Amino acid sequence: MSSSGVAEDLKRGLEGLLVQVREDARGGITVEVLPDRLVEAAERLRNLGFDHVKSVTGIDLPSEKRVAVVYHLSSYTNPAYVKVIVALRTAVERSNPQLPSLSKVWLSSHYLERETFDLVGVVFQGHPDLGRILLPDDYEGPPPLRKDVVLKTEGIDA
Amino acid sequence: MMDSIEGFVNVILGLLFTPQIFVPLVYPGLLTAAVMAIVIIWLERKVAAKVQLRYGPLYVTKRMGGVTQLVADLIKFFFAEVIVPRDVDKLPFKLGPALLLTFSLLPVVALPVSGQFEAFRSDATLFLAVALLSVGPIYVIIVGWASNNKFALIGGLREGYLLVCYELPVFISALAMAVLYGSLDLVELVRMQGPGLWGALLNPFAAVSFLVATFMSTSRFPFEIAEAESEIVMGPYTEYSGICYGLCMAYSYIKLYVKSILFALVFLGGWLPTVWPFTLDPTLPGLIVAFKAAAVMLVGVFLRAVYPRYRIDQALQIGWRPLFALSTASLVWSLFMVGVKVGGWV
Amino acid sequence: MTLEVVEKHLELLIGPQHPGSGHMRLVAKLDGDIIVGFDPDVGFVHRAVEKIAETKGYVQIIPLVERPPLVDCVNVNLGYVLALEKLLGVEPPPQASYLRVLAAELNRVASHLYGIAIHAIMIGSSTMFMWPLADREVLLELLQDLSGARVTYSYVIPGGVRRGLPEGFKEKALKAFRYLRRRLRDYDDLFLSNPVTVNRLRGVGVIEMRDAVNLGIVGPNLRASGVPYDVRRAEPYCVYSDLDFEVMTRREGDAYSRLLVRIGEIEQSMKIVEQCLDKNPSGPILHESFLRGLSPKARAYMEQTGRVRFPALFSALKPPQGEVSVRVEAGRGELFFYVVSDGSPTPYRLRMVTPSFRNLAAFRHVMVGNRLADIPAIYGSLDYFPPEADR
Repeated sequence: MSSSGVAEDLKRGLEGLLVQVREDARGGITVEVLPDRLVEAAERLRNLGFDHVKSVTGIDLPSEKRVAVVYHLSSYTNPAYVKVIVALRTAVERSNPQLPSLSKVWLSSHYLERETFDLVGVVFQGHPDLGRILLPDDYEGPPPLRKDVVLKTEGIDA
Repeated sequence: MMDSIEGFVNVILGLLFTPQIFVPLVYPGLLTAAVMAIVIIWLERKVAAKVQLRYGPLYVTKRMGGVTQLVADLIKFFFAEVIVPRDVDKLPFKLGPALLLTFSLLPVVALPVSGQFEAFRSDATLFLAVALLSVGPIYVIIVGWASNNKFALIGGLREGYLLVCYELPVFISALAMAVLYGSLDLVELVRMQGPGLWGALLNPFAAVSFLVATFMSTSRFPFEIAEAESEIVMGPYTEYSGICYGLCMAYSYIKLYVKSILFALVFLGGWLPTVWPFTLDPTLPGLIVAFKAAAVMLVGVFLRAVYPRYRIDQALQIGWRPLFALSTASLVWSLFMVGVKVGGWV
Repeated sequence: MTLEVVEKHLELLIGPQHPGSGHMRLVAKLDGDIIVGFDPDVGFVHRAVEKIAETKGYVQIIPLVERPPLVDCVNVNLGYVLALEKLLGVEPPPQASYLRVLAAELNRVASHLYGIAIHAIMIGSSTMFMWPLADREVLLELLQDLSGARVTYSYVIPGGVRRGLPEGFKEKALKAFRYLRRRLRDYDDLFLSNPVTVNRLRGVGVIEMRDAVNLGIVGPNLRASGVPYDVRRAEPYCVYSDLDFEVMTRREGDAYSRLLVRIGEIEQSMKIVEQCLDKNPSGPILHESFLRGLSPKARAYMEQTGRVRFPALFSALKPPQGEVSVRVEAGRGELFFYVVSDGSPTPYRLRMVTPSFRNLAAFRHVMVGNRLADIPAIYGSLDYFPPEADR
């Protein structure tokens, strides 16, 4: 199934949720949704056949004062969707990044959301075990992947 | 003056070679146990290395293949700091390794070197040897508890479970051999294993179960369970360092040595065959027993290169089902053989 | 004074200072010998690869992303460069694609041998620890001939590969594979058919197919639970669609089948490399748009030695604005890259999800109900590599 066929399926399956389904020149499909419709969109996608999350990415956009969170989804069992990766994208306020957790919809997002909380600072409400995973437990300071944390290269500018 | 020096030397030598001093101190006692442990551990590392495409110990006395590697290790252990953690149970912790080694070596007093040379003559030396063997492992549990360390505790408990499991086949196999030859005296047992009547041939069930129980009790792979490194660090000996650690490590090899000598005496014909008049008593018989014991030890240490290790419940299953059944079958077989002999067939 | 006896579960910290734990801490709650609670505590080797990538040029990131998986570098290298090429809109020449697949599959064999060795020492077989690691030497020699390094080769570059196939490589590779096939029979005799191994691993750490899909685990762990998913077949990259190989799948989902899947994949990778060596087309190893910037002397050097001189363009590569996501099948499973570019020489966001991090989800699920001694057996069978998971 071509990716435009998948895009059509997604548009039909996510009707009424105020989503935007985009397909770019390289064939990547993005579903843009608002945070309050995120859980329902996720459940509908899961029922369509997308059964696991490959990645949860937090992208800090200080110029727009937002933090974008992108879930990359795919399927192991549905042969039509095995070939595609759908990006489920949403955005939250940079000063108060709260999102509902999708760990009840997809078990595979458990540790990925925890990593995003740790490194980008997005709080996932309803996550069963939200805590630091990669950084030390007593780390104080802004989340490292925010743009206001500037890495200094030793010997050059530090 | 020369007379008195010669007389003095004679007295010392006479004292040294009296069986009661020679057996526990020199052979098969402390000195030979130490030398055997050194050689066997070196052989273990060399044989495993040969299988694993590498050299093994090489640099200490390179011309002899690194055979004194263990002496170098022992010297290193002597110089390493003995750390006694603050919260351990001090007396058992400190005394434990020494007692372990003592009790593992104690059964040698019951083992004869040859027909005329043993520490004391009794008509129950087999029973004595096997009974003394069962005292040592209790100190493993004590050491595991005294170390105040969860891994040591788990290791000690594993040894406790295994202790009950492997002692039974040893006892029953020894009993089977005693029934077969009609005596509990080791000298008598060896004497009766004349040409072609070795214990292993007459009662292979007992031989196999005794051997497997030996490997189980001395942590030979696949039964290296109490000290399973990838699961519980070093088992009961986790908190030990320096010479105490060396003593703990020596414990299992000394125990293997003692049990191998027992196996050689009971199942492999002891110091036979000696052809009169080349008996050269007691040197040649002693050497023959040592050689047979070394062969058994070599089999035991070679298994390291072959098998992974069992889980504790799997080893216990093996001990309580096939092994126990085998040793009981060996007892029944002994009774049958005795019946056959008494019935006049042999 | 009254004594109160409280029954508690034993909490065992199989911490970073433990022979069987790797660079992580496993917190196990035990009821006697049975595990009732399990929590992996990771992050001990976090090296901030994603953050550092935001300060480095695109070609400088190649050695950066290669370091986490260590024994499996070519596949990660390949994944990142495929993402970069997708952003740039560049297709490598055919010979470069074949060489990429060749190096990637050789590395896969080396990675699986390492995983099998670690698994074996965790259940106590020191011979099976030494043998695969010694046999890795053969592959490291081959890769050294090909790329000049024994580990972390940085072989795949945007537009192609760094070096062409050297003289006599094909004979060496075929000789190496004859040796490795003999050794696979030895492994079978010593370890795979060993009754102790079978007892330790069969039926231990079973992951059902439904749980495998829900937890999102990847690689041989997924295929051993009955899901025939392999990125090389699901979304073929490089020349995998032209190559003939089997996706090794088993149905039992226990530690033993995971081991067997890895052994089977070694054989399949050798088959792929032999096909690459047969089909090897001649031609340039670097895309012409990068060759255009080189001086004639540099180009003559390249013709003569078959080694690439980096064009000056590489030091300031500026892909157009956009975002791409790419997946490859690394040794331990599926590796996912998501690169966001804003038109500057450094990426705006580099997201790298390694297979070991995705396999982390399996720990809590699979350990509960097994025994303490099964922890190393299951850990080794999942082929979890902490530096790769923590990045």
